[in-house]
Amino acid sequence: MEPHERIQAVCDFILQSPPGEINDVVNDVRNIISDDELLQEGIAPALKKYNLAQFITVDIPETNHQSIISEASRLTSDAEGEGQERWLDPRSKKSFVFDHMALEASDPQPFEPNEDFEPFRAALEKASGSYLLAHFRDGVSSTFSSQTTPNQFILQIVANKYNPTNFWSGRWRSEYIVDLNDHSMKGTILVNVHYYEQGNVQLSTTRSISITLPPAIVTASPESASTKILALIETEEGEYQKSLNDTYHEMSEKTFKSLRRALPMTRSKLDWEKVLGYKLGAELSSSKGTFATGSSQ
Amino acid sequence: MADLVDSMLDLMRRLPPTRTEENVASLIGICPDYADDLLGSVDQPLQLKIDRGTGREYLACDYNRDGESYRSPWSNEYDPPLEDGTIPTPKLRKLEISANDAFNTYREMYYEGGVSSVYLWDLDDGGFAGVVLLKKTMTPSASSEPSGSWDSIHVFETAERGRQAHYKLTSTVMLQLTIQKKDSVDDNGKREDKEGWKRDGEVTLGGSMTRQTEQDWPIYDSSSHITNTGKMVEEMEIKMRNLLQEVYFGKTRDIIYDLRSLDDLEKTRRQRELQKELVDFIKR
Repeated sequence: MEPHERIQAVCDFILQSPPGEINDVVNDVRNIISDDELLQEGIAPALKKYNLAQFITVDIPETNHQSIISEASRLTSDAEGEGQERWLDPRSKKSFVFDHMALEASDPQPFEPNEDFEPFRAALEKASGSYLLAHFRDGVSSTFSSQTTPNQFILQIVANKYNPTNFWSGRWRSEYIVDLNDHSMKGTILVNVHYYEQGNVQLSTTRSISITLPPAIVTASPESASTKILALIETEEGEYQKSLNDTYHEMSEKTFKSLRRALPMTRSKLDWEKVLGYKLGAELSSSKGTFATGSSQ
Repeated sequence: MADLVDSMLDLMRRLPPTRTEENVASLIGICPDYADDLLGSVDQPLQLKIDRGTGREYLACDYNRDGESYRSPWSNEYDPPLEDGTIPTPKLRKLEISANDAFNTYREMYYEGGVSSVYLWDLDDGGFAGVVLLKKTMTPSASSEPSGSWDSIHVFETAERGRQAHYKLTSTVMLQLTIQKKDSVDDNGKREDKEGWKRDGEVTLGGSMTRQTEQDWPIYDSSSHITNTGKMVEEMEIKMRNLLQEVYFGKTRDIIYDLRSLDDLEKTRRQRELQKELVDFIKR
């Protein structure tokens, strides 16, 4: 393989990293490639892609909260020119530079939000904060005003649990795009779990949802509308979690059984002596049979 | 550089088991010199082949491969044909035929479908070794039906010690289940929305695990090896199936609840505080 093909291949590994294990994966590929210079430069785009897709969280300087790094938090206005790419924390109204390798924010600058949409965004942010506290143990949420579509808001949630001592990790991501122009809400929920004690078991689920927002929400004040939107999300995510439970039940009761039964229909283990004996018997009688027919002819 | 192989194996333990084949192929592409180490230590889903003579399906893996050809357990022939392909001695081939018959019965009893293959080979020290392969794939008739696959690879070595034989068994099970869910609910009750929610989703559970065991069993004649390994494989598969279903899958479900709580955590926190206040009040 050419060096760029090798880098391409390890970038693909990086993008498959389970929750919280990206450093382990990078260490492994570092050993495999054994050319730090080539690696560092080569995998930078993959690390960034991974961080954006996985809603990686970052401590915001001068605050005591975290914010989500994602496509929605990338500031497009600053992308032109030679300047460094900047990211937004809408809660503290700060933009910052983000190091995709060290996962650190630096150079915080004040950010002026669009005043027309800020009241609704702030209300949605507040409501999502309460929802987060009610249902996630280690959750982070960020609420953005869309940079491209006026009156569109993006609510993101991520919850991570990393427990390497007990060989497991998990990540819950959800994203809701609330559009007050066509009164729609589109959502995605993604769950990834890795359990690797003497094995490698991974769960990955995707769920997409869409709904037309009821008029009662559309006409309400930002505060009341946001509370109602989060109530819809709470119900939906709760139902989804319950339905996952049903899926597990279905998998272990039906799907698993149709692949391999726990025991044969006879409800007892095989009698291996008999299994061999039958065969031997069948062979003997069949050969006797041919012999008998042969001799009688 | 054992180090490098360790890193490759660590990587394979972390990357999704559903993508083992492509990831192993990539790793071999990066480090072709370590292809044998990798193929020897990472189990991959079994390939289905068709015996040209009998039309019967058999399973291909590293153990029945010679160059680019695979030997069928049914005809003992290599495909593509090989002039001087490695085949078991006549005595061992006879045992291999019986073992294939016995595990075919086992397959029917537990899998009610699928394919099995057994391959045996002589060891330099006079003993022999073998591999028992089982595979079943569920292909859904509709997109809403679950799909899945089970692959098991049982490699064993045996050494006879008088009227006893010592067996070393290494078993790997690879499992994959996918369920697609699609529904759109019309809510003509409490909620005011006429459109209802439209939902769409997929759940994939994939896993691989390896376990080892060493046991001694009595032998009466050469066919005892089949009953002995048969019992060991059966015991091991029961144990591993149970582990996957109860422990591994159960654990992934529990972790979802660690991430998100169905109950309102704030309410629980407030209740606990209230309780504490009450206790303090009584104590006073």
